[in-house]
Amino acid sequence: MHIPDGFLSARTAAAAAVLSAGALGVALNVARSLPRRRVPLMGLTAAFIFAAQMINFPIAAGTSGHLVGAVLAAVLVGPAAAVVVMSAVLIVQCVLLGDGGLTALGANIFNMAVAAPVFGYAVYGLISRLLPGTRGRIVAAAFAGWCATVIAALCCAVELAFSGIHWVVFPAMINVHLLIGIGEATLTALILSAIIRTRPELLDASAAEPARRRMIPLVVAGLLVAIALAVFISPLGSDWPDGLEKVAEHFGFAASSRTVLPPALGLDSKIRTTAWATALASAVGTVLAFGLSLLLARWLVPNRSAGRNGEHP
Amino acid sequence: MNAIEISDLHFRYPDGKIALDGISLSIPEGHTVALIGPNGAGKSTLLLHLNGLLPEKLGQDGRVKIFDRPITAKNVDEIRRDVGLLFQDPDDQIFCPTVFEDVAFGPQQLALGDQAIAQRVTEVLDRVGLSGFDDRLPHHLSGGEKRRVCLAGVLACDCRILVLDEPTSDLDPRGKRQLKDLLRQLPATKVIATHDLELVAELCPRAVLMDAGRLIADGPSLHILADEPLMLQHGLEKPHILQHLHPHV
Amino acid sequence: MNAAHTEARSLSRTWMQRLPASLRLAAAFALITAVILLPAGHWRVYAAIAGALVVIAAAARVSMLSVLKRLALLEPIIIGVAALSLLGPAGLRGFLSILAKSSLCLFVMILLSTTTRFTEILRVLRAIHTPWLLLTTLTLMYRYIFVLAEEGHRMRRARLSRTFNRGRWRTWKNLGTVIAQLFVRSSERAERIYAAMCARGWK
Repeated sequence: MHIPDGFLSARTAAAAAVLSAGALGVALNVARSLPRRRVPLMGLTAAFIFAAQMINFPIAAGTSGHLVGAVLAAVLVGPAAAVVVMSAVLIVQCVLLGDGGLTALGANIFNMAVAAPVFGYAVYGLISRLLPGTRGRIVAAAFAGWCATVIAALCCAVELAFSGIHWVVFPAMINVHLLIGIGEATLTALILSAIIRTRPELLDASAAEPARRRMIPLVVAGLLVAIALAVFISPLGSDWPDGLEKVAEHFGFAASSRTVLPPALGLDSKIRTTAWATALASAVGTVLAFGLSLLLARWLVPNRSAGRNGEHP
Repeated sequence: MNAIEISDLHFRYPDGKIALDGISLSIPEGHTVALIGPNGAGKSTLLLHLNGLLPEKLGQDGRVKIFDRPITAKNVDEIRRDVGLLFQDPDDQIFCPTVFEDVAFGPQQLALGDQAIAQRVTEVLDRVGLSGFDDRLPHHLSGGEKRRVCLAGVLACDCRILVLDEPTSDLDPRGKRQLKDLLRQLPATKVIATHDLELVAELCPRAVLMDAGRLIADGPSLHILADEPLMLQHGLEKPHILQHLHPHV
Repeated sequence: MNAAHTEARSLSRTWMQRLPASLRLAAAFALITAVILLPAGHWRVYAAIAGALVVIAAAARVSMLSVLKRLALLEPIIIGVAALSLLGPAGLRGFLSILAKSSLCLFVMILLSTTTRFTEILRVLRAIHTPWLLLTTLTLMYRYIFVLAEEGHRMRRARLSRTFNRGRWRTWKNLGTVIAQLFVRSSERAERIYAAMCARGWK
């Protein structure tokens, strides 16, 4: 979700901008070592993602969804290039269409152009190593797409919460995106399987790199997971207001996060219950999403190519 | 000294298919030569050899010579200053966001000053009949205008040899006429791969017929175009315009 | 691609377009920052800013109708997220303040994009030493967005003309294949663009 201007406090927006500028810088550095031949591909992939995001997929009763494409981009051009590509997409959307605020650009880039593709690619790398063949890849990509959606929503919710939006933004955003992620998983699986069917060599070759280099995205993912868990689980451990207040004070956000703390009088238990409910929903969601990914792969990839040799990611 | 000298050129695609099977061709400076033949004859592949885009790894043997210089990895940048290639799809060639920037791309690589570049771009846009198009977005141009922008981009580099791949495809009659008039005035050596046999009859005194990677015929275009059995045998036909331009043929 | 057509219309040379793009960009950024730093509930200040923006829009010959249309498109998201603050201590006052401020910022961005061509923004980015790879990606992306969008549209249309069984899953599969094809074509095009760039001396 693109955060508009006016929802993030100045400090949160600035912090997110600094983080995403740093991450983008790192990604640009890594992507610079790509062969020159691939440079036009990055621009075209960015245009492709932009165009693909405009295609509406009918869901029900007039609503429709669309692809975000962070994981798709990462699988097609590699994680570093995907960060650059998705950042470019967000910049153009902000400036040309007004989708996403100018001051919120840092946060939006962090959520959808850094966290989503990097974390998603790490999940993809891990699972495609465990499950071989084309089917394994589709399972990995689909599930990674779901995870990327949820992680982006999580980051977004954290940013909004730190900016003083009511704490209910947390369960609201996450629960909604547990569902939306299913669309992303399905679309990623559909599109990727179609590409593999016709031109498998177009997938990013860096997946074949030596194991050592592949550890980096996994380490980063591990860190992100740890952070996610910390933010997630800590409210269950201690009192939500205290936990968040401590974090907020530490980062100097205490003043602006005042309004996050619900007034006393019996709301503590409500927060606790909601937190537990969200955590449970996420756990169930994860299992369901993985199951769905397995199903999708089975549907989309005919039996013959399921365990083809030489297709190891 | 010939502008282009090709000696026994062979080329095979990565999948093993033979694209060029021993092509030898000499083109003197200032001449206009048409390259005709059915689809899949290897015309585009041959054109890509004229500025070193193929073979992908340039060796030392230099089967293609431009102004007596064999194309090698070392001098391919220089060669590209002399040989301007116009691709079949103008959308592939116009890769900058505005007309000005795209035409300026070549001169920028030549490291001219900003003012010299601006002057050159204006001159060249004038020549192709597109003055004032500087700030236009390529996406909003018609097919004919896009082709002229591509031509301008190549003229801006002062290329002595122009290589064109299907320049009149996708053009309406007016666009074709404008392009033909433009090409007629250019003094550069021209090699034009085309299906447009009218263009060949009007503009190119010499034609080279290719099929399946081989040179079938090389001579005055009127003779080749009028040779109906030959044309039919190689997937072409005798153009009707011949009746009007040269009734005696 | 309405944005493209909006951009084309902005070719009219009002005083606004004559200001350097960097100035317009900086002013937009400064204004947006100022608005978001405004405390809640300062209704008169919000109204004053809104009034000023309307005047600027009129002076720059930007059609209010087109501005309102674009505002209407993005307002639902703003309203939706702002609604969450209704639950908090800030209540209705907080909700309306966020709504007002966010809409003002959106107004500024719409004005900016209607009066500034993206190519000018690219030039500003180049001047502030944006890394080359990001700049090239943005430039090529902007150049080919419209081309790809049209290609996607044409492919979708071709698919639809041969689809008689309109189930939802079938539609998803078709559209998915269209998008996959779009990527395949984009990569092939990228190769050709690379060749075109090399042909013109790109190093």
